[in-house]
Amino acid sequence: MRKWHVWMTAGTLLLSGELSLNGKLQAAGWNMPVGVTDISREVHSLHMTIFWICVVIGVVVFGAMFYSLFRYRRSKGAQAAKFHEHTTVEVIWTAIPLLILIGMAVPATATLKKMYDASEADLDVMITGQQWRWQYSYLGEDVNFISSLATPREQISGDQERGENYLLEVDQPLVLPVGKKVRLLMTSDDVIHSWWVPELAVKQDAIPGFVNENWVRINEPGIYRGQCAELCGKDHGFMPVVVQAMEEEEFDAWLAERKSAASEEAAGADREWKLDELMERGEQVYGSICAACHQPNGAGLPPTFPALAGNQALLDDREHHLDTVLNGVAGTPMPGFRTTLSPVELAAVITYERNAWGNDTGDVVQPSEIAEQLAE
Amino acid sequence: MWNTVKSVLAAFFGVQRESRRRQDFTSGKPISFILVGILMGILFVVVLIFIAMQAAK
Amino acid sequence: MASLPPKHPVQQGTADAAGGADAHHHPPKGLLRWVLTTNHKEIGTLYLLFSLLMFLIGGVFALVIRAELFQPGLQLVQPEFFNQMTTMHGLIMVFGAVMPAFVGLANWMVPLQIGAPDMALPRLNNFSFWLLPVAFTLLLSTLFMPGGAPNFGWTFYAPLSTTYAPPSTTFFILSLHIAGISSILGAINIIATILNLRAPGMRMMDMTLFVWTWLITAFLLIAVMPVLAGVVTMMLMDINFGTSFFNAGGGGDPVMFQHLFWFFGHPEVYIMILPAFGIVSVIIPTFARKPLFGYASMVYATASIAILSFMVWAHHMFVVGLPLVAELFFMYSTMLIAVPTGVKVFNWVATLFRGSISYEPAMLFAIAFVILFTIGGFSGLMLAISPADFQYHDTYFVVAHFHYVLVPGAIFSIMAAVYYWLPKWTGHYPHLRLSQWHFWLSVIGVNLTFFPMHFSGLAGMPRRIPDYSLQFADFNMVSSIGAFMFGLSQLLFVVIVFMCARGGEKAPAKTWDGAVDLEWTVPSPAPLHTFETPPQYRPAEADH
Repeated sequence: MRKWHVWMTAGTLLLSGELSLNGKLQAAGWNMPVGVTDISREVHSLHMTIFWICVVIGVVVFGAMFYSLFRYRRSKGAQAAKFHEHTTVEVIWTAIPLLILIGMAVPATATLKKMYDASEADLDVMITGQQWRWQYSYLGEDVNFISSLATPREQISGDQERGENYLLEVDQPLVLPVGKKVRLLMTSDDVIHSWWVPELAVKQDAIPGFVNENWVRINEPGIYRGQCAELCGKDHGFMPVVVQAMEEEEFDAWLAERKSAASEEAAGADREWKLDELMERGEQVYGSICAACHQPNGAGLPPTFPALAGNQALLDDREHHLDTVLNGVAGTPMPGFRTTLSPVELAAVITYERNAWGNDTGDVVQPSEIAEQLAE
Repeated sequence: MWNTVKSVLAAFFGVQRESRRRQDFTSGKPISFILVGILMGILFVVVLIFIAMQAAK
Repeated sequence: MASLPPKHPVQQGTADAAGGADAHHHPPKGLLRWVLTTNHKEIGTLYLLFSLLMFLIGGVFALVIRAELFQPGLQLVQPEFFNQMTTMHGLIMVFGAVMPAFVGLANWMVPLQIGAPDMALPRLNNFSFWLLPVAFTLLLSTLFMPGGAPNFGWTFYAPLSTTYAPPSTTFFILSLHIAGISSILGAINIIATILNLRAPGMRMMDMTLFVWTWLITAFLLIAVMPVLAGVVTMMLMDINFGTSFFNAGGGGDPVMFQHLFWFFGHPEVYIMILPAFGIVSVIIPTFARKPLFGYASMVYATASIAILSFMVWAHHMFVVGLPLVAELFFMYSTMLIAVPTGVKVFNWVATLFRGSISYEPAMLFAIAFVILFTIGGFSGLMLAISPADFQYHDTYFVVAHFHYVLVPGAIFSIMAAVYYWLPKWTGHYPHLRLSQWHFWLSVIGVNLTFFPMHFSGLAGMPRRIPDYSLQFADFNMVSSIGAFMFGLSQLLFVVIVFMCARGGEKAPAKTWDGAVDLEWTVPSPAPLHTFETPPQYRPAEADH
């Protein structure tokens, strides 16, 4: 009776210890976040359950071990026993872990099945990984944009003080409505990436040639940050994921605004653009899309990423340049951008490449010209 | 035969009595253990797939 | 170098029952002796020295990584070079340090433990060793090639390792092929030796756990190294001959690469830990002066782990979008591996229970192995829970997990083995005080390095990134300090080994009073030729 009491007290203490400890660890960023979806809560509770199971087993096993190590020291005159087998004990300590594991497999299976049920989604978003940025398309909504790292290079090199969201900030976050089931379809244009936001408990590989499915229903508005989780080359550490969750009305307004901006952009393809207009826009596009490989100064990183500054093969052959940017180069890391960028952006970036860093060809590539090529 | 199956099961489980193991190694033929082992390995995989399919329903 | 290995009293003909040396043997002198040797002890020494060299080189790469990660921001190296370092560190440690070290130990100790005069295929043995320097010279030379060394991680997932890889990848493939051939030949040799050359009277069930685990490991090696060879050949074709095995653009399948790789890779993980189980199962009974608890179960659990290792590979791929049934299958099978592994740990603890325990350096490392490997096992159990793995996958939590099973796991077992058998190899006890320093510095260093990685991983830090956001800064700084502490303390290990080769307290044939196996019946240092007349094996007292 007394013994039971002691155990109960110890159990209660351990449990309350768990709660306060858990709270503290969370606050300091030592533990898995509880997250902001029902799934992420379940995952967190699975994590804590299996963790405490391990702790209990560890206490028992290491307890017995340290007791033996201390109690049976030869220096204290311990005499070795001779036993070396005990089938009953062995069967028991094989069976108990088996039962614990079955007990653990049941809730894990239930959670996994929920995670796999992406049916009846309210909104579909296509996520495409590219070296080293994410492209988000709201399917059926004509909204499509690229999200790249916004942390300035000066912070990475240490010339500038690092901000609060160092390496976890992007130019345009993925915007999602709160309370809606959003299906996330993932693929990649080049190598395998992995889209991960810890607070949403979503991590899914984006694989070229495959479309993976996942889903999320966010409970609270806010900004949630994550990173690419699969080694994808040089700038793997520099392709964050940022999700901004907002109330439904706010989201609808945002979506409408993006749609009208997209149609404006499309209209821009029809008019005649001036060189300096294109250069200004091109510099922007180059900075967010091309500079990671070909470098801000156009020098590239040979032999994998060739220089653009003074690249006669491109400068002498305008068609070749257009073809390279639109369709990519097979067998190399260079992707085609015909579906990723708008005609204006394509024209601007090609014009920029043909005139920046002393290339000075004076060539102007008009958006209308690109639009024609795309239509072919 | 049944003894071989029991020994292979014990190997899968990872616990075996010293005396039985001694017996296996003196009287048993290796080829029968290998064959039964392979068959039971396949059976094990099939059972596990079946459980996973039931759980996924 | 030539002065390091034991000064075998070769031609003196030590008139010992076990070690009758023959006088008509005149091996070539100097360097050529080492190139041409077919003696299992000399080849064992070569393997161990090679592995030590690779351990130091791989360690330097690790320290480059840890130095860069000491603080947020890019200070020392650029991301391209950082990726080359993570890749080379992994490849060198797995294929160059851990595997050759175990083969070296097998070369030295398997014949001695089963009472064989040498390995069954001595010339093959020489060939399998000398393939390794070739393979790793080739691999290391890629660092100096245009475009740099392989930079896609030791798991080299396609298409990053094919279409998007640097030109040096073809050399990397060739070097893996050569290293793989070396492993297969070594494994064939070990199996042939164990099955055919046991001393008269020694049955399979009389073999030490080290011999048993190596026998099972050798079968794993033969089963999976060809798969690795296949997958790198497919890469070779994709890169150089226009095929599209893994190129989605040509109708290939990048996920198939991962299935093939991990079908090799998971048994590979056990290749790196089963011999460690064997070593610890030999050392703990010696210093607890009590027979190993549940010998039969230990053998069966090893076999069980080996069989299961072929059924769990896709737990490395929980986030690639497997179908639900596959996800469940691999979760269940992975959880099951905890059972035989648990049996092993329980048996070690039961061996210690009511023993008469002393704490020689080998025992210290073996005990640290049991504790720290078990911690790695716990995080492995957590990783098996597929829904939770969605959060753990590809984070520092995984890095912490596999370094716990590989560093204080595999590496500590190798060090335990070295401290255990050095007296047999050199005839001297290693310097006790220095060995204890080496142990404590290593244990503290290893935990400082890898324990904080659990936290940074759970808090959201992906692996293989050269720079990280500010909330991970403290964990990384501690890890880096620990890594330098661990790395530098290994220099002490080198000093201890070389000192021991040159001199020290003389060790008797039966170096440890609790030791029972056959190797302790030959003199220390073991003469170049032992058991030329097979010993009559009498089962130890424990076997009755």
